[in-house]
Amino acid sequence: MVENYAILPCNGLDKCAGVISRELAIRLCENAKNEIICPVYYRVAEAKYNKIAGGHSLLVIDGCQTRCASKLAAEKNLKISQKLTITEEAKNHNIELKSNLRLLENENALIEIILSDLNNAQDQGRRSSVETSSLINFEYETYQNSKFIFRVPKNPEVYFNENDCWACVVGNRARIGVTDFVQQNLSDILYFTPPEIDAEIDQFGEVGEIESSKSVFELISPVSGKVISINETLVQKPELINENPYELGWFAEIGLTDFESDKELLIGFDKYFEIMKTKVEEING
Amino acid sequence: MSETTFMGVERDKIDWKPAIDYTKCDYCMECVKFCSHKVFEVRETEDIKLIVRNPNNCVVFCRACSKICGPDALSFPDKNATSQRIREIRKEESNG
Repeated sequence: MVENYAILPCNGLDKCAGVISRELAIRLCENAKNEIICPVYYRVAEAKYNKIAGGHSLLVIDGCQTRCASKLAAEKNLKISQKLTITEEAKNHNIELKSNLRLLENENALIEIILSDLNNAQDQGRRSSVETSSLINFEYETYQNSKFIFRVPKNPEVYFNENDCWACVVGNRARIGVTDFVQQNLSDILYFTPPEIDAEIDQFGEVGEIESSKSVFELISPVSGKVISINETLVQKPELINENPYELGWFAEIGLTDFESDKELLIGFDKYFEIMKTKVEEING
Repeated sequence: MSETTFMGVERDKIDWKPAIDYTKCDYCMECVKFCSHKVFEVRETEDIKLIVRNPNNCVVFCRACSKICGPDALSFPDKNATSQRIREIRKEESNG
């Protein structure tokens, strides 16, 4: 059961997804010890809601991808424990949202499904990684551009794609994550959405997502295979990706299915380091 | 700003760019603000106020703009088909 949460909904009253997020927040507060943070009143009653947010885990409900509620949480320096987006949930459950602002059958069904999913997830918890230590001893090359420092592992076990994601391959498994280039560009990472355990991932498929106040980044998997574990620590401490995206901020481990083929479209340290330097120079001059 | 190659393949040969669904787009221009690669162009005085101006600037496999699009108006080609095509081109070019 979702309990002892502060709920920050989008509350966009001119869109169906916003109306659903509002209703969902109300429902979550009806039968459990949860409290709503009103995003509109928050602007003028900061102390009241900071107190609520400080005393609870925070569940953010975004209506759509504009992520107004997430952006408000970032603006107020609130740590997000859990988040969901109504339009994404609707897509995942094959429910079409229209422009109606009254809750009808579809919208109420979606609310029930989300409530049920939230409660089940809370009760079951997540399977986390058994092993959190590094697979290898990382050795780095460093590139500095103005105040920004970019480290890139030069171990032969570490492969990269041109989308700034890495895979450390040991035997038939790979640990994957983003490079310093991504975390420096995103700035403070506020939220990590892990992939599902057991999910089958194609090479270049999406395998988790990170979000900062500036942007959203989906990890584009360098390898294909099955997700065998996730870095559970990141769910509570996404800032570890900023601290060290290789040893602390890895996303997940993948059981490899066809690495020989994947390798054709991956590059090693030498090439990635040059590509990354070019990208940094293009951005920072 | 544009990449000339991706995975050793000329960028021009890879079909990867956003498609704008004008029935959904509300011209909020969040994608324009978001994309540092200048893929989009605003045309204030035209009926269609937003176009994909520089498709080859779009980072292959990146769909980040669609992630921040409130009205869900941006879509991309299938990733598997695209990576398969890249493999084929690489093979063709290495053979000859």
